Amino acid sequence: MTTTARVELSAPPVAPRARRRRGLLGLLAAPTGFLALFFLVPVLMVAAYSVGLLTLLPHDLYLSLQPWRDFFASETHVGLFWKSVRLSVVVSAVSVLLAYPIAYALALVAGRRKYTLLLVILAPFLTSYLLRVLAWRVILGDEGLIITLLRDVGVLGPEGQISWLFYSPFAVYVVLAYVWVPFVALPIFVTLDGMDRDLLEASHDLGATRWTTFLRVTLPLSVPGVVAAFVFVFIPTIGEYVTPLLVGGPNGFFFGNAIQGAILQGFDWQFGAAMAMFLVGTVTVLLVLFGRYLNVRAVAE
Amino acid sequence: MRSEFDGLMRSPMGRRALLKYLGYASLLGGTGVLAACRQDVTQTGTDQGASPTARPGIEEEPGVLRVFTWAGYELKPVWKPYRQAGYPEPKFSFYTNTEQALAKTAGGQDWDIAHPETSYIQDYVNIGAIQPWDTSLIENFDQLNPMLQRAGQLDGQQYEIVTDWGYSAPIIRTDHLDPSIKSYSHLFDPAASGHISWFDTPWILMMAGLTLGMSGDEVFDMTPEQLEEAKNFAIDRKKHLYNIWVDFTQMWDDVRKGVVWAAYSWPDTFAVLHAEGVPVAYIRPEEGTLSWAEGLVLHAETENYYHAHEYANSWASAEVGQWLIENYAYGHANLNVDLSNVDPDVVKVFGLDDPEYNLSEPVSYIDRWLPNRAAYNRAWDEVKAA
Repeated sequence: MTTTARVELSAPPVAPRARRRRGLLGLLAAPTGFLALFFLVPVLMVAAYSVGLLTLLPHDLYLSLQPWRDFFASETHVGLFWKSVRLSVVVSAVSVLLAYPIAYALALVAGRRKYTLLLVILAPFLTSYLLRVLAWRVILGDEGLIITLLRDVGVLGPEGQISWLFYSPFAVYVVLAYVWVPFVALPIFVTLDGMDRDLLEASHDLGATRWTTFLRVTLPLSVPGVVAAFVFVFIPTIGEYVTPLLVGGPNGFFFGNAIQGAILQGFDWQFGAAMAMFLVGTVTVLLVLFGRYLNVRAVAE
Repeated sequence: MRSEFDGLMRSPMGRRALLKYLGYASLLGGTGVLAACRQDVTQTGTDQGASPTARPGIEEEPGVLRVFTWAGYELKPVWKPYRQAGYPEPKFSFYTNTEQALAKTAGGQDWDIAHPETSYIQDYVNIGAIQPWDTSLIENFDQLNPMLQRAGQLDGQQYEIVTDWGYSAPIIRTDHLDPSIKSYSHLFDPAASGHISWFDTPWILMMAGLTLGMSGDEVFDMTPEQLEEAKNFAIDRKKHLYNIWVDFTQMWDDVRKGVVWAAYSWPDTFAVLHAEGVPVAYIRPEEGTLSWAEGLVLHAETENYYHAHEYANSWASAEVGQWLIENYAYGHANLNVDLSNVDPDVVKVFGLDDPEYNLSEPVSYIDRWLPNRAAYNRAWDEVKAA
């Protein structure tokens, strides 16, 4: 056998690699096409509409940045954006705080029953989102569980009310946190469940208390899951409009509601498109930042 | 196998290829859809429908009407005469507000008949979506309130057969508020602080304008200064709100329980709560009651031209009008409707026995096209965000 022949034999075979590549592309074609057609194309259309590259109505501005200028000039709408950011940050943080002990108990305490319990925790997802939101009316409403209880024990008078309990930003925060906690528990659970238990034993062997072990071993190792969980809540809640609409009352107006209003109420579609694209852009930037600096990928892997 | 797949997924080449193909697909799809939309707008905007000479007779039409309407208007009593005449059952699709219907229409949704408020006819004409009716083909047209039909005209052409109407005004609890005060001020009254409920609509700004002394004519086309004044007034009074309702059944319940003393409402609220014995009054403000009227518009490219006219004739009948009043407490444009089975209080409060007087200005102002709707909406956003 000549040297040339040996080189040819040791080189990776070209044909199988090309086949694998074709196979991979074939596998990806359907989801990629689906995403492109039903996600990227609509986003591109909204972007094009916001600058008048695409117009639908006679009063639409053709090739104009005016909708964007109007948005940045509007203290109200920029203010609403920050109000929504605040809402998302608080809801995400509270959800993570509430979900962490659940995920911890499932992963490290529940033993063989953990998957059964996980299913129980996820059971609310079998119910309609709207129903879960509206159910809070029974708890927080004027004649609801909390008010009735407080009246019965004499904390409130017979007609007593707590004005901030329902139809308030507080109600929006509570309901959103409730809705997202089971979802948030998942990535944290996955991280904790995949953690090397020998590390915990080593910590104990070295004399660390349970609390120290948690603070110096468990918590740092679960950070990727916590970050992923935070992002999972932050992204959908920043554009949230249904929950504020149903339980937010006079002050439950957020950025998502403004977008909805511009499209469905005001016939102000280019302005609405500009706001929507600003939101999409912001979320994209945040995703990139989270992905790059906070190692979210580790959770997926 | 899995490691090979992962290897490919993780290789820079794989990602690049994925992004490249994703980009190509998006570009291709996006260009196609954008081109299609552009083409669609152009076509819709220029084509005003088949010319009468080229129009096939009723027997040659497809026959199954596509009716794009409000939920509740698909019920059989609403198109009973049409059904009894032997025409096939229409296919109904629904929208939750007229802006949504316009959005879908502009996006290319096909229908033969839609049911918008009169204030949106101009928008439908602007996008070239509708054509005028031939009223000579509608036998019952002569029985319809001519004043309402004028609201359905543009440039002298009957673009809408106006069929039903109602008011947008305060309903109040008479055990807490004084019904002798006939004004929109009930919705802004500090005396009802914590018990007021607005509907989520820029019409609140018009009601604020009327309360501030603007005329009925002015509130449909406020100057920037007037809009600012109305907005600031609404912002100032917003602190007295209980909520801004989006679900009318919830508002009914809040009034029923006495949590809400004054609410933006439509006539059906009064009809339902009055029948239940709730102490309520429907206020017909002396500033002029803001009212809405709606009816049927005909798509510019309908292939069911004659069927659509038969359907409109059915809607225009006194029989349908009577059902609508008795079941929804809405007014109907047919002047021959038998009111003997309707609650006399409902007839009196809404002036159903003399709709021509009760809908005429300055007693009432029928909804009009808002030339500056976007400004109203942004001002309303400011009120809600305040």
